[in-house]
Formats: sequence, C-alpha cells, structure tokens
Amino acid sequence: MDQILFALLNGTIYGLLLFMVSAGLTLIFGMMGVLNFAHASFYMLGAYFAYTLQPLTGFWLAIILAPILVMGVGILVERFILRHVHEHGHAHELLVTFGLSVVIAEMIKMVYGKFAVDYRVPAELNFAAFSLSGIDYPFYRLFMGGIAVVMFIAIYLLLTKTRVGIVVRSAIYRPQMVEALGHNVPMVFMGVFGIGAALAGLAGAVAGAFYTTNPNMALELGVMVFVVVVVGGLGSMGGAMAASLLIGITNSLAVGSDFRIADILILIGMGGWAEEIGGLLTMRMSSLAATLPFFIMLLVLVLRPSGLMGEKE
Amino acid sequence: MGFQKFARGTAAMALVMGAATAAQAEPLKIALVETLSGPQASTGLLYRDAVKYQIGKINEAGGFGGEPIELLEFDNQGGPVGAADRVRAAISEGATVILQGSSSAVAGQVTEDVRKYNLRNAGNEVIYINLGGEAMELTGSKCHYYHFRTSPNAAIRVNTLLDGMKEADVLGDNVYAMNQNYSWGVDVQDNTVAAADRLGFTVVEQTLHDVNKIQDFSPYVQRIQAADADTVITGNWSNDLLLLMKAASGAGIDARFGTAFLDQPGNIGNAGAVAEGHFLSAPFNPEVNPEETAPFMEDYKSVTGHYPSYVEPATVFGMMLLQEALKEVEPTENGLNAADLAVALENATAETPMGTISMRGADHQAILPMIVQEVSLDAQYKADDTEYGFVPIKVISAADAEQPVQDSCQMKRPG
Amino acid sequence: MKYAPLLLLVTVAVLIALPWLVSGSMLNAAVQMLIAALFAMAFGLLCGQAGMLSFGHAAYFGVGAFAAVHAMNAFGGEGLLPTPLLPLVGGATGLVSGLLAGYFSTKRTGVYFAMITLALAELLHALAPHLKTVFGGEAGVSSFRMPAWGIGFGSLNDVYFLTLVWTLLCIGLLYLFSKTPLGRLALGLRENAHRLRFLGYNTHALGTLIFAISAMFAGIAGALQSMNIEAANYVVLESHISTAVVLNSFIGGVRVFLGPAIGGAVMTFFGHVTSDLTRVWLLYQGIIFVLVMMFLPRGLVGELVERIRNPSGEGLARTLSTLLARLVSLAIAAFGAVFLIEFLQRFLSPEYRAGVTDGNWPDIALFSYDWAPLSVLPWAFGLGLFGIGIALVTMVNRRVAARKEAQA
Repeated sequence: MDQILFALLNGTIYGLLLFMVSAGLTLIFGMMGVLNFAHASFYMLGAYFAYTLQPLTGFWLAIILAPILVMGVGILVERFILRHVHEHGHAHELLVTFGLSVVIAEMIKMVYGKFAVDYRVPAELNFAAFSLSGIDYPFYRLFMGGIAVVMFIAIYLLLTKTRVGIVVRSAIYRPQMVEALGHNVPMVFMGVFGIGAALAGLAGAVAGAFYTTNPNMALELGVMVFVVVVVGGLGSMGGAMAASLLIGITNSLAVGSDFRIADILILIGMGGWAEEIGGLLTMRMSSLAATLPFFIMLLVLVLRPSGLMGEKE
Repeated sequence: MGFQKFARGTAAMALVMGAATAAQAEPLKIALVETLSGPQASTGLLYRDAVKYQIGKINEAGGFGGEPIELLEFDNQGGPVGAADRVRAAISEGATVILQGSSSAVAGQVTEDVRKYNLRNAGNEVIYINLGGEAMELTGSKCHYYHFRTSPNAAIRVNTLLDGMKEADVLGDNVYAMNQNYSWGVDVQDNTVAAADRLGFTVVEQTLHDVNKIQDFSPYVQRIQAADADTVITGNWSNDLLLLMKAASGAGIDARFGTAFLDQPGNIGNAGAVAEGHFLSAPFNPEVNPEETAPFMEDYKSVTGHYPSYVEPATVFGMMLLQEALKEVEPTENGLNAADLAVALENATAETPMGTISMRGADHQAILPMIVQEVSLDAQYKADDTEYGFVPIKVISAADAEQPVQDSCQMKRPG
Repeated sequence: MKYAPLLLLVTVAVLIALPWLVSGSMLNAAVQMLIAALFAMAFGLLCGQAGMLSFGHAAYFGVGAFAAVHAMNAFGGEGLLPTPLLPLVGGATGLVSGLLAGYFSTKRTGVYFAMITLALAELLHALAPHLKTVFGGEAGVSSFRMPAWGIGFGSLNDVYFLTLVWTLLCIGLLYLFSKTPLGRLALGLRENAHRLRFLGYNTHALGTLIFAISAMFAGIAGALQSMNIEAANYVVLESHISTAVVLNSFIGGVRVFLGPAIGGAVMTFFGHVTSDLTRVWLLYQGIIFVLVMMFLPRGLVGELVERIRNPSGEGLARTLSTLLARLVSLAIAAFGAVFLIEFLQRFLSPEYRAGVTDGNWPDIALFSYDWAPLSVLPWAFGLGLFGIGIALVTMVNRRVAARKEAQA
C-alpha cells in the first residue's frame, strides 16, 4: 500500500514538473500554432541563470530573477526571430526554433563546459518532509509540486477572471477577430511567449537544483513536453495539467511493475509459447517505461486528435 | 667496367638509396577517432587530452624511428556512422594505429571496420587500440587479432569492486543490481549475479532501466528500499548515476553504492555530500604509491591544465603499453608494419605508477591493477573543487584483478 | 532554364570522374553526401510535393538499413541478393513499413500528422535496443559486402559507384514520378485536399501511397548507408536523424525538385569539413539553420531558381555586381562572427582557464596571430568586421530598394 502511495506521489510530482515546463508551450502552441522546439531550452536557461546568480543573490532571489531573464530572452526571440519567420509558415517557425535550440545548447556548453554544473538544493531546504515505512520523502519535491500548483491556479485565474485573460483566450481561437476588435495581437503574442518562456525558466531554476543542471537537460525533456501538449490538447491549460499527471503517474507505476505480456498469455495457456518467442512478449514493463508516453500520444492522436481537453483541431 | 667496380658502384648506390629512404621514411601516424562534438563530447575530449599528453612524452623520448609521432584527430560525431567514415579517412591519410575510447557502440563499429579492412588489405593492416569501450563482447565474440583493449572491462570492474567492498566489510548480504538496459549494464548485472556464490551474498533484485531517458529515479529508489538492499551495484554513468544517487539520498536510504564511473568529472561536484561513502573501482587513485604518482599528477596538470581523472590515467597507461611495444618494432618507410606492432603489443608490459600492466595475448585484454576507493572528506586530491575526493580502500594487483578469457573469443591468428 | 540539361550532363560527368579527382577522404564524404541527398529527396517527395511534414523519417531510413544488413548476412553471409541489388530489399521494407505507418499517420494532417510520425519513430527507437535479435543491441548488426558480378565491392571506389548509380537512378525515378498523374495529385493534396476529396479522390489512400513511396526511397537510402559502413546500429533511428533530413531539405529548398538533394549534400559536406576544424561546428550549423529560415525561406536552390525565373530586370551585369557586393560584405561579416566565436571559445575553454594564474592572462593564438584577451584589439577586430559587413549589406539592400523605387 505504501508502495503504491509513494508511486502515486512521485508520479504526481514529476507530472507537476512536466506541467510547469509545458504550460507556456501549450499557450504558445494554441495561440500561434508554433511547435516551439526551443521551449525546453528556456527550461535549461532558467537552471543555468539561477546557478550563475545563486552565489551573488542567494537561492531565493536567484529563482525569482532567473525566470525574468529567461523572459527577456524569450521576448527577444519572439520579436526579432519568430515574428520575422511567421509569414513563411509553421514549418519554418518550427525549424527556426530547432536551430535556436541547437545554438542555445552550444552556447551553454561554451560558457559552462560540457559536464553537469554544481547547482544543488540549498541546505536549508534539504530535509525530509515525512517518512513512510522507512523511506524519507524530500521536502524539496513537495516544494516543486507546490510551485507548480500555485502556478496552475495563477494562470487559471489570470486566463478566466481578467480582461487580459479573455483577450489571450480569444486570440487563441480567433486571432483575426481579436485583431479586428482593435487589440494588438502581435503584442499579445510577444507577451504570452515571454511569459511562457519565464514559466519554463522557473521550472528549470527550481528543478535544476533537484535533478542535474547539464547541457543536455533540454534534450532530455524536450520531446516529453511536446507529448504533454499534444495529449492535453492545444491551448488547454487543464488538458496540459491532466496530461502531465497522466504521464507522470503511468511512468511511475510502470517503473515499479514487473508485468509482462507473457503473463497474460499464461492465463490462456500460451505462456510457454510466449517465453519461446521472447522479444516484446517477455519484456518487463519497468524497462519499457520510457516508451509509454509515446504510446499514449499515439493512442490519443488516433482516437481523439484534439487531445484530452482540447477543443480546437 | 670490371665486376668489382660495378659491385662497388651498386653497393654505394644501394647505400645512398637506403639512406635516402630512411631519411624520407614517413613518420608514424596515429589517429584518434573520438567524439569531439555533440552531447557526448565531454568524455571524448578527456581521451584526447590523455592521448596528446602521452604522445608528447613519447616524442620527447625520441618519437618512433627518429621521427616524432604524428597524431591525427578526427571527430566521429558521436555515432557509428561518423566513426566508420572517420576510420576510413584516417586510414586513407596513412594512419596505422587507430585510437578510440568513449562509447562501446562506436567501439563495436570501429573494431569491425578494422577487422574488415585488414581482411581486404592483407599486408597493410591497421591496429585498433580500444581505450575505453568496456563491453565484454569486444574481447568476446567480436575479438580479433588487431583489436587491443587497454581499459578494464565489466568483469574486471565488478569483481574487483565486490572483492574490495567485501574485504572492507561494507558489502553486506543483500545486493541490488541496478543497471542501464544495454550491453554494458547487462554485463555488469551478469557479473554481479555470477559473483554472488563466491562472495556469499544474495542478489535481492536486478533491474534494468532505460538509458539516459529517466528524469525521476524515485520509483527505482523505492524498489531498492522495498528489497531491503545493503549495497547497490550499478554500472550507470553520467546523469543516470547522478540522478539515481540523488534520489536515493533524498529518500534517506542508507544503502551503499558500488559504481564503475563515479569519478566522471562533474559527478562529485553535482552530487556533493550525496556521494560520500559510496564506492568505485577504477584503474587509478592519486594516493596510491605517492612517490611516483604525485610527480605524474603534477606533470599532467602542467601539460593539460587539470589533474588526470576518470578515463585519463588508464588512457595514459594504455599509451605506455603502446610506447613499450613501439620499442620492439623496426620502422619501415610507411611508418611501421602493423603485423609487427601487433606481435609486440601482445607481449607488451609497462611500468605505471599503479604497478605493472600487461597485455594478455589470448584475447588482447589489458591486465591491470585496480583500486577500490571510497568518496570521503579525507582525500588528498579533491574532485571538482569540492571537499570530497577518492580514498583508496584496497589495491588489487593485476594478477588478482585478472578475469578468465571468454570462451566466445575465437581469435584467428595470422599464419 | 534551357541550359538545365547541359548542366545536368556536366554534373553527372563530374560525379563519374570524381574518384580520379579527389582524395580518399573526400570520396568518402561524397558517398555520405549522395546518401544524404537521396534521403532528403525521399523526404522532399512527402513534404515538398504532398505538403506532409514528417518528423519521423529516420524510422524508414533505419528500417531499410537493417533490412539490407540482414539481407547481406542471409544464407551464412552469401546474401539474399547479389550485392548491387541489395538496396531493393531496403526499398521493399521501407515500402511495406511506409504503407503501415502511412495508413495511421495520414488519417490526420498538419501538426497532428507530424506528431504521429514523431511518435511512431520514437516508439521504434525506444523499442529497438530491447529487440536484440533484429537490431543487434548497442553494438548493432555487422555485415560484409560480398563480391558480385565480377566486382569486389571491397574498395571505396566500388562503393562510391554503387551509391552513385542507385542515387541517380532513384532521383531519376522520383523525377518521373513527379510527372505522373499520381505525382500531380500529390501537389493537389498539398494545395487543396478538400477540393481533391470533392472531386472524388480518396485522399487518405492517396496520402498513404505517397507516404509509402517516400518511405521506400528513404529505405533505399538507408540500405545504401548500411552497405557503405557494413553495419547498422539502432542509433540510425534517433530523432536527430529525422530532424537533420527535415533541416537539410528546407535549407536546400523543399519545393524545388533538386532542392532537398543539394541541401542534404551541402550540409553533409559542411559537417564533414568543419567537424575536424572546429569544436563548435554544431553552433555554426545551428546559426546557419536560423539564418536560412529567416532570410532565405525558399532555401538555397529555391531562391536561386526564383531569381533565374523572375530576373530583377536590371540586366545581367548589374544583377551580378549586386550579388557580388552582397557576397563580399556577407563574407566580411561572417569572418568577423567566426573570429569572435572562435576567440570566445578558446577564451572560455577549460584548458585556457586552467592556464590563467594570478591575473596573468596568456595570449590566445587564432588565425596565426597571438591576441591578448584583455586588450580591446581582438574584440574590436571581430566586432568591427562583423559590423562593417552588416553595414555593407544594409547599404547594398538600400541601393537596390532605391533603384526599384526609381524604376517604379
């Protein structure tokens, strides 16, 4: 029982982290139709900026300033690169962001070297929150989860309860109409892009200390973030949250499971045959954990292409 | 013209020509085909530093055949395709020795390429010195006469690690094997299981997980806890090792980790106190045999800018084996005859600060001393500018570290 | 365009004579370039002609590569087919897997299509290392090219000609395909799928078919690759192979027929040359991607074709001189940028930083001069050249714009 509880908790926290990174992307994706390949690079930038600032400002100020710096980078990217490419079509936007992600990763390597840097959870946050059947649960994990929840609530309120939110939401669905009503849609895009980048930067600043801060961290998370956005549905915050949790929890449960397809076949008396065939049939679920998100994405795309909660196709 | 005169003339001409060819003899070309760019470049660059260092030493000592050895560098771009391409480029530029170390996947490609090239070009063979591809099959089913491995392999790493930890009485009864799901990880797991009876421990669970894809190791840590393990033996490297140890420490698990690659630069810096008390088996430790080791450390630092760590010492020692072998080989006008060098390498031994290392003829695996070490505050040389470093627990002599030749190695010898 | 056939003939002649013109290392690069060109052409059929952006084409390339390796190893190494015909196996496997994958992915369009192709490729890539019998695990599957038809296939020259013949043949077939009714329908699918459906065509079947044909040619390219290196490893299924082909095609120009091929060849050549010259060649590659997408959206070849088709009306001499002026100023800017990047890279490298002691900053050697890093000189030199180059380009552009205005 404790095991399952832990698995659920771990999965939830990992899911919340995924949500933090993908929240901005789903807004951008929904609004501009841009699959921003560089989004995970903002996550990485956040971690490196916080690492650089930490000795100067201390941990707390660093995780506040780093997202602001990342927002600046995001705004520059939108204003001077993406907007320029917008007229050429989505494929070009996508490829330009891919080029950018390469450039950012190489610059990070040039400045900070190719190995993981020494960015750690500060000692005052490094303690166990509680203990269950002999396993401590690090407080910092709950802290990360808490930030993600606060972020979700803040974005949700901003989008549904404020005037700005209404403009943003309508710009997702009918950009031309919003423009015709006299709103400065390019400005809205730039703002959303900047805030999306800042959210990813915040996720990086917070999670980089807990996991590792290295030049490949964008690569590791990059595709997973796309999966979340597609599974959740374009532009849907709730969908992104649901998809993040789904992927986090299935991943966590799968890792703990020794289930094999052959085990089902044993029930119908074909166990021996399955053992003989081997390959996929005798592979443990735990070793396939990383493939599950793609499998989920494929299922969603084929069965319900607008995603779990998306409305727009 | 009398016969004598003719003979004298010919002899003189032969002498002149001989001198001319000797003077025009090509310098020996050695090609380093490493991963110098992209995500995995960090290790490739360390191999490069170490190789450059020791070739510099060889050249200071007179080079080969009176000429300095020429080191060609090629970037294999991290994959087998790039490596195949660069091996060809290296051979076409006249390299007779190819060096490569990071990634067993690339090593698998290079060793096969060299084998096939030698089949097709009998008389103009090239030699592949594998500086760090530690997968068992490279000296097993894929072994061949022109492949030489100077690094340890999975069997050596795991058995020395377990022996050392057992002797220091830190192994415990319950051992958990946690590894990456590919040939290297499987080799580590198999060797851990195989040693269980000999050393009297139980392998409570074996887990193989995806390579470099997992962000959150806490579910795995939970399994370690549930299995009540005293020690975790893992072949994980880089991020997979760091994240695993961090997750374990966060969960307050007191199981010790026995690792193969904890000394990779950045690991200790990133893990900090989390790494304390964990173990490593590696071919080098700066505190062993300090009279010889300390000057080596300082000299290496003065040349490359940093103390040797991770794969660098073993690479230097491997190059020392090559240096010894080169002393036994006569230069030819193309540099050297690879077949001669292969014979010399098979029987080469070299004196290193860690002790004598030698090449085993049967499967071309280097036999080298291993040092089981623990991460501690007491270390003399600190890692990554932290207060931690590696303290030797036990030095295992080359003879004790040796593991049997694999049956799968059917080496075809020339002639 | 009346010189096109002549140009083509000269190119083919040069390609045939290449082994006698260049070094072994370059010939090696040429083989890689041909393979990259064919792979990009296969992608171009799908993306350029039919307007479907696939993010998982490495899957079909890889499937072809593995099929060819297994075919080479069949019958105890004798081979399923004589060596020169082995790419057929890769093509057939590509076709079959393309039919399957295409059936699912072409149910959707646009971004969703792209994400399905990505998911399929990632699934295959994630499963491959577990299926050791097929994909050989981490070490891959190795093979040996057997002699056939009196040709040894041991030397690089033989491999080059094998690759050349197959690449030219496939590109020729792709050209013929674009002229068939099916090829024309592909264009229709790109421009207006609704209308096509309205006219009574089954767009799903059409999409699947074109997807499969594209996968078939990708499979042939994969087979050529594994025959070239005599091995296949599951890393050919990695996502960066998929993205590389997309980028190569777009850099060449995905909407013009030979654009992808030239993009693939040029970028492969670029990687081959620069990766041994500088440690940050990936950075340059990234910068080139960004710049091409921003300023040459039609791609290199696309832009060239456009210029030839719609001349500026200024006469040949003028056009050429403007072009020359632009190229020269761009070269100045590029040199400045390269200097800065290389200088920074050396300045920031751990070896250099380790050499700094007590405020003593050693000189950095670059382009056969020693530069003091703390003086203004190197920074001013790089930035200055870069600035001058950019200023010159802007000036040329302004002049051209002014002339156009005057004409209008």
